Amino acid sequence: MPNTRDIRNRIKGVKSTRQITRAMQMVATSKMKKAQDEAKTGRPYALILADIIVSIADEFEEITQSYFVQKPIKHRGILVIGTDKGLCGALNGNLFRKLNDVENSAKFIAVGKRASQFLSRTKRDLLADFSLPDKPTFQDVRKIVDFLLRSYDEGTIDTIEILYTGFINTLRQEPELLRLLPLNDLDSMTQKLHERFGEPEHTAPKDNREILFENRDAVLSELAGLYLKQEIFQLVLESQASEHSARMVAMKTATDNAGNLIDDLTLQYNRARQAAITQEILEISAASFTN
Amino acid sequence: MAKSLIRLEIVTPGGVVYSEEVEHAVIPTANGKIDILQHHAPLIDRLVPADVKVVDRDKKVDYLAIGSGFVEVYAEKIYIITDQAILVNEDDDAEIEEAIKRAEEALEKGKNSNFDEAQLQVLEAAAKFEQARKLAKGKTR
Repeated sequence: MPNTRDIRNRIKGVKSTRQITRAMQMVATSKMKKAQDEAKTGRPYALILADIIVSIADEFEEITQSYFVQKPIKHRGILVIGTDKGLCGALNGNLFRKLNDVENSAKFIAVGKRASQFLSRTKRDLLADFSLPDKPTFQDVRKIVDFLLRSYDEGTIDTIEILYTGFINTLRQEPELLRLLPLNDLDSMTQKLHERFGEPEHTAPKDNREILFENRDAVLSELAGLYLKQEIFQLVLESQASEHSARMVAMKTATDNAGNLIDDLTLQYNRARQAAITQEILEISAASFTN
Repeated sequence: MAKSLIRLEIVTPGGVVYSEEVEHAVIPTANGKIDILQHHAPLIDRLVPADVKVVDRDKKVDYLAIGSGFVEVYAEKIYIITDQAILVNEDDDAEIEEAIKRAEEALEKGKNSNFDEAQLQVLEAAAKFEQARKLAKGKTR
């Protein structure tokens, strides 16, 4: 039988652990809401941008701009959005499992410590490793996009894909692998965009819009760059919302477990205390009986 | 009789800034200002940082400062996507002056210190945007 003091100390320890996990749960909850809201505000922009790209692309007989043409794929370029910190359940594990069936010729760009750790541990070809602050801005994402586009232009990578954790709801996050460049299939791009936002396909009449500027090739590549930036920014925010909600759930479970443990320990403590009292009474009465 | 209105939406990466039925809107494009009313032919054009003049259903005139971006007109809607947009009536002169000064200073510093090209472009856009804001503000008085 453990003595009462040991049990009391353990209860204290578990209680302080519970306090920490509960605090982390609260923090994750509020961060999740913010990230989620922010991810949503950019949606109309992305939709209109995609629409403009499609209508300009429609004007061309054949697009020769390199962002829109599928080259033979020698090296896929995959941007992996992991987290910096752990304690978020199976989030990173699920994400990295998706990489198992990616061939070895692919090159990777990591965001977040966990992602770069995993990629270097599995000896993948890691081109660059970026870290993003807790509340990333458009500016923070720009350097990543610039790097990706440069690698694409130079031919180091032949696609730009992104592996992120899609936010479905607070309890469900699914890893997704999405191809962003080349934009050789614009129809499926817009369709996917609408699917992801859960919005009906908007049925713009396909009347030809007059395009009032010259130099369409340059504009098209500018638009593709903007689109890439916007998409990556959105998906980073979405991944963060996922991270925070996964952490929230993990921390809630930890808090509940700590509560259960405290209940069990309290029961044990009371039993030990009662046993000690009974023991003492027994000893006293035995002593007085012999007198 | 129902007024002939057209929907104007100004959208930035940070969300929808303006979304109203308006009578017409004057939009600064790379080819000069264009006035768009109902039944306008569908078009796409580039924007330059300047002000959008909006006349709403009650003939009230508003000015919005916008950054660079694109305008798309179709199906009785005007979509403007831009990196930034602000309804100018809301802010205060001193703040705008301050912002212009800040933007220009930063730009100057950037030019001297060999910043990377893209960063410089961003600063330049910011400075232009602030100027547009000032211009638009002047018109509201």
